[in-house]
Amino acid sequence: MITPMTIHEEHDEPSLYDHNDHILDWLEDTVPFLPSFFDDPSYTTTSITNPTAIVSDITEEFQWWDDQDLIIDPNLNLINPTPTTPTTTTTTTTTTANLLPPSQPKKRKPADVNLEVNNQRRRSVGLTKKSTVKSAGNNYNNCNNSKEGRWAEQLLLPCGVAISAGNLTRVQHLLYVLHELASSSGDANHRLANYGLRALIHHLSSSTTTVGPASSIFASTEPRLFQRSLLKFYEVSPWFTFANTISNSSILQVLAQASKSSSKTLHILDIGVSHGIQWPTLLEALSRRSSGPTPLVRITVVNSWISDHSYTVSPFSIGPPGDDYTTRLRRFAKSINIDLEIQQLNTHPLQTLTPEMINTSPSETLVVCTQFRLHNLNHNTPNDERTEFLQFLAKLKPSAVILSENDAACSCTQCGNFSIGFTRKVEYLWRFLESTSCAFKGRDCEERKVFEGEASKAIMSEIEMNDGREKWCEKMRQVGFVSEGFGEDVIDGGKSLLRKYDSNWEMKVDEKDGCACLLWKGERVSFCSLWKLN
Amino acid sequence: MAMAMEVDFSDFDFSGYSTTSTTTTTEDDVTCNWNDSSPVIDWDVFSGDTDGFRGLIESMMSDPDELDIDHMVRGDHHEYSSDSLSFGEPIQNHDSVTTSNTSSDDSNGLRLVHLLMAAAEALTGANKSRELVKVILVRLKELVSPTNGTNMERLAAYFTEALQSLLEGAGHVHSKQHHGGTHHSISGTQNLHPTDVLAAFQLLQDMSPYVKFGHFTANQAILEAVKHDRRVHIIDYDIMEGIQWASLMQALVSRKDGPPTPHLRITALARGNTGRKSIGTVQETGRRLIAFAASIGLPFSFHQCRLDPDESFRPSNLKLVKGEALIINCMLHFPHFSCRAPNSVASFLSGAKSLNPKLVTLVEEEMGASDEYGGGFVGRFMDSLHHYSAVFDSLEAGFPLQNRARALVEKVFLGPRIAGRLAGIYRTELEGEECCWGDWMVGAGYGGVGISFFNHCQSKLLLGLFNDGYRVEELHNNKIVLGWKSRRLISASLWSYHQTSPLTSSDSDVSC
Repeated sequence: MITPMTIHEEHDEPSLYDHNDHILDWLEDTVPFLPSFFDDPSYTTTSITNPTAIVSDITEEFQWWDDQDLIIDPNLNLINPTPTTPTTTTTTTTTTANLLPPSQPKKRKPADVNLEVNNQRRRSVGLTKKSTVKSAGNNYNNCNNSKEGRWAEQLLLPCGVAISAGNLTRVQHLLYVLHELASSSGDANHRLANYGLRALIHHLSSSTTTVGPASSIFASTEPRLFQRSLLKFYEVSPWFTFANTISNSSILQVLAQASKSSSKTLHILDIGVSHGIQWPTLLEALSRRSSGPTPLVRITVVNSWISDHSYTVSPFSIGPPGDDYTTRLRRFAKSINIDLEIQQLNTHPLQTLTPEMINTSPSETLVVCTQFRLHNLNHNTPNDERTEFLQFLAKLKPSAVILSENDAACSCTQCGNFSIGFTRKVEYLWRFLESTSCAFKGRDCEERKVFEGEASKAIMSEIEMNDGREKWCEKMRQVGFVSEGFGEDVIDGGKSLLRKYDSNWEMKVDEKDGCACLLWKGERVSFCSLWKLN
Repeated sequence: MAMAMEVDFSDFDFSGYSTTSTTTTTEDDVTCNWNDSSPVIDWDVFSGDTDGFRGLIESMMSDPDELDIDHMVRGDHHEYSSDSLSFGEPIQNHDSVTTSNTSSDDSNGLRLVHLLMAAAEALTGANKSRELVKVILVRLKELVSPTNGTNMERLAAYFTEALQSLLEGAGHVHSKQHHGGTHHSISGTQNLHPTDVLAAFQLLQDMSPYVKFGHFTANQAILEAVKHDRRVHIIDYDIMEGIQWASLMQALVSRKDGPPTPHLRITALARGNTGRKSIGTVQETGRRLIAFAASIGLPFSFHQCRLDPDESFRPSNLKLVKGEALIINCMLHFPHFSCRAPNSVASFLSGAKSLNPKLVTLVEEEMGASDEYGGGFVGRFMDSLHHYSAVFDSLEAGFPLQNRARALVEKVFLGPRIAGRLAGIYRTELEGEECCWGDWMVGAGYGGVGISFFNHCQSKLLLGLFNDGYRVEELHNNKIVLGWKSRRLISASLWSYHQTSPLTSSDSDVSC
């Protein structure tokens, strides 16, 4: 069984895991973010479907996807388990066994091994490769930090201002220009112009006519493409992977503390957008846990309530109807001897959830894992649904709540006029489109379109009500939660995760509330926070 | 978030000329009834109207209250719901865009106007963004070509080219463009074959009254001014091939009730290497004029006066003869040099004051007052777009079937003119206010000289030879203006200067 955990440190940092250096090399060599790895069919054939030990391990771990043509990145590691030595595999290929020094990792690609017998040389090559990849990522597609390159905003934001000011001549002029420059397949700016234009027209016409959302959204995507898109996106962008990883390792942290009270059942209330992709690595980690017995795992998934206008709900939350990930998750759990119960709540808006539906008992270790969903709840008085919902969560008496949300100012009309809200939504979407463009190295593909189309719902929707993390934390405290700092492992896991992605990603830990913040080019994207009842 | 250039289209009053100015001809109102067309924006209705640009501008400045957003949305809806946005693939599906959008020339024209204006906005102002200008110009180049397409498309191609060179020039602020921004893309004329230029010149003369209007009006005024003089000395700022003077010479030898045929002296200002040489050098022009004068028996001599290297004028370089009537002739309209540096013109006109000229004849292009268009670079840019679209339209009306001939005229004369104009207003934006030379003359102490009734009639007669769309109007009493439909294009004005008692005629509070 492969050990998907991989801790590596920057070379300039004192590392606890120096003996794992070769894992770093291995990671660099398989470069999960190298698109050629996925685009080149011959590469796929030789490296992945060959019956090597590596491949069998990988497919075993991810067989729950049940899709032979899906290529799973072994580094799609949504968890940060405690550091272990990488000697979990005893099988090696014959070629590598002859050539490698005893301490070599077993999962290196034969081609690399042939080229690089010498440790020293290998390391330098690995570093070179890394820097090449990073610089390519930086050079691509205006991936510089200057505001100057963000031309789509220079049209969209004035248009928002003109709408607020009622200057329709101006609006029309800008719409015309946007119309000419918008493209769903150009660079990030063209795409932002495209989605922004849709949103503006949608806004201007919402009284009489409606513009449908982008053609590529989750709900209308063919299930297999949807699954492929999920895997691909999680692999190339930490947008969600970051929150999943932090959450999973936090759950392990919570469990380690709770195991002292001999709880046998882990109950996860999943209010998120991962469509199941978050859980295999957690389950796998649980199966390998050294301390305490493997618990019974219950996952209660609160799916988004599908209204008539699917684009008015939070982006990323509604998958296609045929996406039956729970069956695959169960099968996977069975294969690694984990008792897993999954319950889905499909028809209940968050506002109408009751403790009875969650069906939890005091003997369980209940962890609420909520990601990118709560910002759809109204936060304005008198109907402060957000506080009400957090109160509801407190009533469940969870062992922990892991709250992950966009870290952005609110764009609802009560917090500002249309122009202000639109500006904030454009900024959000720009970060998504730019980082995704860098993640895909500028290449267009179906998977990218699916995610970008889904993300564009954020700019279409009138009810995206983000908040800065300070406000979220304030609300959590109001209903009786206290923040719990993330453990060192959790933080290290987040940091090492980001090293696999574009160098513009960065993680910061907020001193006050212990939030783990994800930043793109120095601008806030999202945060994760861990809470317990007082 | 400040808006870019605060240009409100409702302030644009492109159609206002016919009502605010005292037109001397009214028969054209019929052709101007687009003023009355419904201003309701309709994405698809711009079909059939060949006078596209006016309709486009009109639609851009339509009453916001009547903006038909809903229609716009419905019109685009099918594009949004389809998998590939048919409008929006400028990069990958370039071909499909051009084919799918050529269905309507006019809606194409409308988007060109919007794109050009957006590029102008992004080039200057508070929110300027070179990146945005680049993207817009890339898109424009996909849509237009100077040799193909509708009037609006060819015009947009020249404006695109001009914006491109401004963008490139804007990169290096320190490289001052002394000669009116003559950079490589503008200097296309210098690469033209001389016969092409001659052919274009001939075509322009035949197709339009632009050349003769200026020359004839100036010459008539000169004839009237020197009625009793025995010696006449004309100092010509830009003589080109000297075609202006053949008709004057003939008129001088045939004048009846005056004194005997006077002696005519012409001094042509000569430049270094900056000028357009394709038609011929000043010397050749001189030889041609001398030969022509000899053939009709006119006493004539020809001189040159070299400008300083920076093209400024030094009166002391002139050879003057006592008792001769001095005429200052300053032709700035096309086909004369497209982009004379303002400093050079100013040095000529102010230097001329010390010579005590009997008459100054000035012909220049009429531009709209900048405040009328919201001011600033964008306002002047849009005014220029309007101006040259009228010129393009008038040429098309003159030679409706000869596309190649028109394309040649446009390439030789209008392309460089447009580039020079945009460079000029861009420089103005950076360096301060500009005004038309008529205003400048007043400021410099010149006084207007009235244009005779005969002269005015003569210009009307000239226009009678061409399309109905041309009109002439008198502005103040020292200036007549040639227009195309409702747009003023070229003005000819007459001035004099008296050192002792500056004649500032009360009625010539010129504002052009």
